[in-house]
Amino acid sequence: MRPEEDIEKFVRVRKPHVTTSRQMDKRTLNDSFAAMEQIIQAKQTKYKPSAPRLIIRNRITRLIAAAAVIIVVISLFIFYPDSDEQIDAVIASISTKSPAELLTVASLNMAYRRGGIKAVEQQCEEAADKLGPQPAKITVKELLAKSNGT
Amino acid sequence: MIIEDKILVWRFNRGSKDAFRRIYEKYKDALLGLAITMLRDRSLAEDIVHDVFVSFAGTVGTFHLSGTLKGYLLTCVGNRVRDCNRLKSERDIGPNFVDAIISNSDGPMEDAISREESGQLQELLARLPYEQSEVIVLHLHHRMRFGQIAKALGVSINTVQSRYRYGLDKLRSIACTSGDAGTGVNSGVTK
Repeated sequence: MRPEEDIEKFVRVRKPHVTTSRQMDKRTLNDSFAAMEQIIQAKQTKYKPSAPRLIIRNRITRLIAAAAVIIVVISLFIFYPDSDEQIDAVIASISTKSPAELLTVASLNMAYRRGGIKAVEQQCEEAADKLGPQPAKITVKELLAKSNGT
Repeated sequence: MIIEDKILVWRFNRGSKDAFRRIYEKYKDALLGLAITMLRDRSLAEDIVHDVFVSFAGTVGTFHLSGTLKGYLLTCVGNRVRDCNRLKSERDIGPNFVDAIISNSDGPMEDAISREESGQLQELLARLPYEQSEVIVLHLHHRMRFGQIAKALGVSINTVQSRYRYGLDKLRSIACTSGDAGTGVNSGVTK
């Protein structure tokens, strides 16, 4: 045997065979478990689960959230009237008004906001139609009086 | 073996106490053996192994295993023993060293022989520089490769190999000059 192997064998066979005592096992495991618990609890309090985080973290909740958004958008389209219908409803409400009510500042202002100068013109024409044909030489005072129904 | 360790670490990171207990049961004796060999004080060695496992438990959820688990734990023990040795002024064999070794042999005679043989080795290792005895023990007792030791200690593999070689030469020299009674080392090989 080579001298190197000789000393290596000498060291190897003299490896001490030690075993831990029960007391040490108990102490080490108890302290280690306590350290584990402490770390786990600290992490749980640090990262308190919030609803958006839970949704983002899980693939299934993400899909559910996306489906819910799609359903809400579709139901809005279904249950809310179209813009044309809304305009028709406004026009219907206008048609019930008297010519004087149609030509008030507030009413004309609302018409302008609704559809610009075209809506104002349309409302004026509506008032003129309601008022009916008038003589060419009528004064503004007489016209206003007629539109007021007096 | 490595796969089992990887699974244990994976379970441990998810807070499994059973996995931690299994890791402890698997490596406690090897770690205590290293600590006792390097420190020659059972109570100090037990404290070191205890501290290593408690620190390891504190890494739950974030522990990342790059090499082997045994290598990692042995390195932790080795580092703590080194720190402890720096604080200790004298490196004589502690009074309770012989009692620290509990042999697995069958009879009292074998037990006594085993204790004596281990005691001889401790005496020889105590005369080596710490770095050399550390490499010898890790390589010969715990079967760590030079590459693993180098990685664990943060030095080059050449440094580890030279520490090992010089350590063995010195061991042989000490064994021979001390009369090699009972050591069984060939006296003709002293350099």
